[in-house]
Parts: sequence; structure tokens; C-alpha cells
Amino acid sequence: MFWRKKATAGVDQAAKEAYFTASQGQLIWSRFSSNRTAMIAGWALVLMIVMGLFAPFLSPYDPTIAGRDDQYENGAPQLPKFWDENGFSWRPFIYATERERSMATNFRWVITEKRDERLYMQFFTRDWDYKLFHLDYDLPGDAFDIDVALVSSNIHLFGVEGGKIHLFGTDASGKDIFSRTLHAIWTSLAVGTLGVFISFVLALIIGGVAGYFGGWIDSVLQMITDAIRTVPSIPLFMALAAFMPDTWSSETRFFFISIILGLIGWPTLARRIRTHLLTERTQEYVLAAELCGAKPGHIIRRHLLPSFTSYIIVDLMISFPYMVRSETALSFIGLGLKDPVNSLGALMQNVSKADVLLNYQWYFIPVIFFIALVLAFVFVGDGLRDAADPYSDTKK
Amino acid sequence: MGQFIQFVITRATMALITLLTVSLIVFTLMELVPGTCAERYLAFKNTQGSQITIADIEAEERRLGLDRPFPERWGKWVYSVFVHGEFGDSCILRLNINQLLADKFWISLGICMAALILSYAIAVPIGIISASSKSPVTNNSLRFVSYLGLALPNFLLALIIMLIATVYFGESLTGLYSKELRDAPWNLAKFKDFMSHAWLPVFILGWSATAFALQTVRALMLDEIGKLYVTAASARGVSGARLLWRYPAKHSLGPVVNSLGFDLNRIFNELPIVALILTLTEAGALLFESLARSNDQQLAGAIIFLLTASIVALNFATDILLALIDPRVRRGMMG
Repeated sequence: MFWRKKATAGVDQAAKEAYFTASQGQLIWSRFSSNRTAMIAGWALVLMIVMGLFAPFLSPYDPTIAGRDDQYENGAPQLPKFWDENGFSWRPFIYATERERSMATNFRWVITEKRDERLYMQFFTRDWDYKLFHLDYDLPGDAFDIDVALVSSNIHLFGVEGGKIHLFGTDASGKDIFSRTLHAIWTSLAVGTLGVFISFVLALIIGGVAGYFGGWIDSVLQMITDAIRTVPSIPLFMALAAFMPDTWSSETRFFFISIILGLIGWPTLARRIRTHLLTERTQEYVLAAELCGAKPGHIIRRHLLPSFTSYIIVDLMISFPYMVRSETALSFIGLGLKDPVNSLGALMQNVSKADVLLNYQWYFIPVIFFIALVLAFVFVGDGLRDAADPYSDTKK
Repeated sequence: MGQFIQFVITRATMALITLLTVSLIVFTLMELVPGTCAERYLAFKNTQGSQITIADIEAEERRLGLDRPFPERWGKWVYSVFVHGEFGDSCILRLNINQLLADKFWISLGICMAALILSYAIAVPIGIISASSKSPVTNNSLRFVSYLGLALPNFLLALIIMLIATVYFGESLTGLYSKELRDAPWNLAKFKDFMSHAWLPVFILGWSATAFALQTVRALMLDEIGKLYVTAASARGVSGARLLWRYPAKHSLGPVVNSLGFDLNRIFNELPIVALILTLTEAGALLFESLARSNDQQLAGAIIFLLTASIVALNFATDILLALIDPRVRRGMMG
């Protein structure tokens, strides 16, 4: 650690001073930022969040059926080029394509590239209308409908003139996989966030009560927590997800899935909070607060919770990939989110078909993003855990 | 000895209480599924051409005892499950669940246990070696592998293996039996055929489990290896594998045995999805069928309950095993 070296050299007194007077947040940050893997993962995570946030701007086409390219179904990815046998160009280009169905192609649609006809890339093109930072949920009951948007525009980062560009190819109905992937990242993050939030609140209440009061309340709550922890969660998810009637709108499904994820995810965190509270509550500062007449709720909130906020943050970070993973698994088997909503799991729904495995391997591109997202979360969570643990450098 | 019996009895009671709580959860879930068994059965009959009236549904409900209050039905279910081991009839298939599940459940459990054993057979030696090695290359690559176990869920691994198999070998590695042997009675030929198919689900299910187990073993070993008794032993001249096995490994494996139940839980989580991709026909796939396709709550409830019961049983067994090996656990339990 940098401050150690300087402090032992006795050169930089100011750095030593800064170390001893630094707040916990500053200490965690300085330890976290010296962990290179975690920093790279952190930047990758930020990049993906930004990509998800600005998905409508970055994606050239509408990810729903409205944006389909009916001339390019199951089309291969088109990578922009700078040169080919016909010479070099400063502007990247792709080739125009043509679809043909005739005796020669055995009456199947076959797409061919026309290598002599170039489509040049354009930037800041105008295409479909979108809203950024858009909240629009049509929940059952009119009072719960939300429709807020900050920016409304139709400018997109890139496109091509006189045609369409599909960086990651298209699916069976001609939807652009690149656009779908970007939107899917956002949906998966949103489901995860909502799920983590719900399970966090539950864990805080249940773990807090069990840990603070102890005794028989603790025993009963522990029994329930343990029982829930023993039931394998994915089969349980499947049982709960099967309640969803097919008539529900995609937004309602989205909320329902998040709530299920939250309802099942709390036991591990609740247990940790409880264990921590059980050890903390015998400390003298709690006794002091009690003697001053503070109420249990006040002691839990003002004295006990701040003592392990960093652990909670780390735990939330670590449980995030599990949420994303569960959502993906559920959507993948068709019990979670469905087509008009793009989540990473929903995008992977079709990849196990033999046709896709043999001919359209670009369906697998969203899988790479899924792996990257989960890995980024795991590395950041790990880095935070190391940074938040005050004994981590005395151990080494 | 008396102390030990007392310990076993306490543990058994606790396992039973957990099972009862689980049965309550599962039963409540089964109740929450929209529509009752009677409606579903009669709706099915309706599609077969016979006319169904409300009166018919009510009569069927009475026959199935669905008009009784909830606690009474739960009690009945628990009684028949715990005392007779009888799960009743499936809603849609109209077959006895025990008959329907018997083989499939044991095959699933066998595959999952094989995956669990495989994961620890790999994780224990490698975890111990990596904890004792100082080389950053080994450590970082092992860390990466175990993270990948999380980031690459088993169902994705299954997909990727299938992708490679179809593209490069032109074979699809699905199913548990060859076509001609599917309905044959069990014999040596079928067993061989089964084994030649079963290695893939075992490997895929063991994948994440191995990664997790590796992390656990390594972390526990790292905790133990820095302790003074290890230094003392090496000062006495014990070294190499002998030192590792006799001292830190012995101590760090206790908690590992304890976490086996949760590992099995994790493997069960992956089972339905992997089963679906590899088109297996065991309990996981049946669970998916009964829930997603047909809302068959009786069957789904029975499967979830059986899966959980096997985890509880494993937890009980590991607790007893630990107490046999380690007297501290026994004494700790007795307070």
C-alpha cells in the first residue's frame, strides 16, 4: 500500500497524516483503487451501465418487432470495413444485401452480399423515436401507471445510408440483435436492482429483528430462514413463475419476476445481519445507548446498522450476479420475461434450437455480454469485500 | 455414548421440524396456483368431448377432499407423505405420483450426487495445492476459473458444449438413453448405455459446484495454513504432503463437510434447466413439464418436497458424520 511505504520511509508526513485522519469511505476507496482487477471490472461495469442507460441512443433500430428488417431475417453480423479489393475508404462501409428465393436456392430465402455496392456508415442519423430515462409502466390499476421521460429524440449514434446495418446480425423475425442486446442489459440490471432491493429490505427487517431481540423470536425466525434456505430456489422460482397468467402485460411480468427474486433471495443476507447484530449488541456502546433510554428501533438504525454498512454494500454487490443469473435462467426456460421485453435471458431463449446451433451462431453474442456483466459484478464485489475488511492487510 | 445418541435425536428432531416447515411452504404454494385439481381434471375431460357442469366440478372437489379447510388438507397431505410416503395422484396425468417419480427421482438424485462427488474429488486436492502454493500465476488462474464457474452458469456451459458438438462433431449429446433402449428393463446393456450418456449431465452439473467447492476449500485452507500449529509441525521436521494432510487439511475439511447440503441445493437449482437443454427425462424435466406446461401442482409440490427432503437428509447425515469425526462439534451442540 502506498501510504505504508511512504510512512515507513518517514519522508511524507502529510501522507501519514492523511491516512490516520481519512474517513472510512476514503480508506475503502484507496484500497479498492489499488486493486487493478477490481478497477478494470469496475470500469467495465460502468461502461455497461452507461450502455444500458443510453441504449435507445446507441442502438440504430427499435429492438421490438416494430424495428424489424424484413429484408434481412436471420442475417449474419455485418462488420464495418475500411477497405476491400475495390480500394480503401475513410468512411467505414458495409455491403448491400439481396434476398432471393427461387428454384436455384431450393425455395428458401437466401441472402447474398453484393460486394460491389457499398453502404457507407453515417453518424447521428435520424431514425425511430425514443425517450431516454423513460419510465412507463402499465400496472394493473390506473393509479399505478407511471410515464415519465426526460429526453425525447430520434437521433441515433450511427446508421448507414440507404440500408440497415446489423452489427450482431438479426434474429428469425429480423430484429437487430445489437439493439436488443443493449436494451436487454438494462432490463436485466433493472430486474436485478429491484430484486436486490426487495430482498435487502426483507433481510434487514427479519435479520434485524432476529439479531436484536434474540431469544425465542430469533429461534423461530432462524427456523423459517433455514427452511427457506433449504428449498432449492430455481425449482421454487419455477413454481412461483408458473402462477403468471399469459394475459399479463410484459411490465407486470417484469415486476412480478423481480418481486419473486427478492422474496426468495433474502435468507442469506438476513442470516449475516443477524449474526453480526448478535455480536455487536453486547458491545458497550449499545448498553450506553440503552441506558440513555433509546428505543430498539433507534438503536438498530442509528448505532448498529452504521457499524456494518460496508458489509451490507458488499453483500448486495455479491448477491447481484445471482439475481441476474436467476432471471436469465428463468427467462431462458420461458417462465420469466417474454418477447417484447428484451432481457438477456429472453434473448437466449432460442439458442438451443438445432437450427440456431448449426446455422445462426451469432444468436450467442448476448451470452458474451451476460458473462461479462456477471464477471464484472463478481470482481467488483470481491474487490469491495477486500477493501472493506479492515484486517485485510494485516493478514498479508 | 449416551451423549452421542442424544445428539442424534436432537438433530433428527430439528431435521423433522425443517421438513414440516418446508412441507407447509410447498403446500401453500400448491394452493396458490390458480385453479384446483378438480377444475383442471375436468377441463381436460372437457377437451375430450364430454360436457362438464359446475355441479360436476363440485362433486369432483368433494371426492378429492378439496372442500375441506386448508389446515386439515395440509395435515392430511403431511400425514400421507410422512407416514405412508404417498404423494397422491397427479392432477393432469391422473397417475400415482410415486409410480411416476420413483425411477426418475432416483436417477436425478444419482446424477446430482455423482456431480457433487466429482466436484469435491477435483476441488479438495486442487484447493489444497493452490492454498499452499505461493505462485501468483496458479492462484490467479484458479481464481479466474472459480469466477467463471459463477459467470458461466451450467445451462450456458451445456449450450456451448452442444454448440461445439453439433458444429464440429455433428452429434447432439442429448438424452439419457439410446432410442432402442429407452423402454427396456434395466440390464447390463442398458446400464452401460446409460453411463455413456450420463457423464455429460454429471460434468455439466458439477461445473459450477466445482468452482464453488474450490473457493471454499482454498479459503478454509488459507485460514488454517497460517496458524501456529502448522509452523510448529514444520519446525518438528514434518514437511510436504504429509504436513498438509495431517494438520491443516484435517481441520479445514470439517466446515467443507458441513456445507455439502448447500452444494447439493445449488446442483438441484441447475437440474431443471440442464435437463431441459439436454432433453433428459428425469425429475428436473418432469418438474418443468408439470409447472410450465400444465400447472400440475400436486406433481410439482411432490418434486420440490422430495428435492428439499434429500437436502435435509444430506445435512443430517453430514452433521452426524462430523460429530463422529470431531468431538468438539458434539460437545458444542450439547451446549
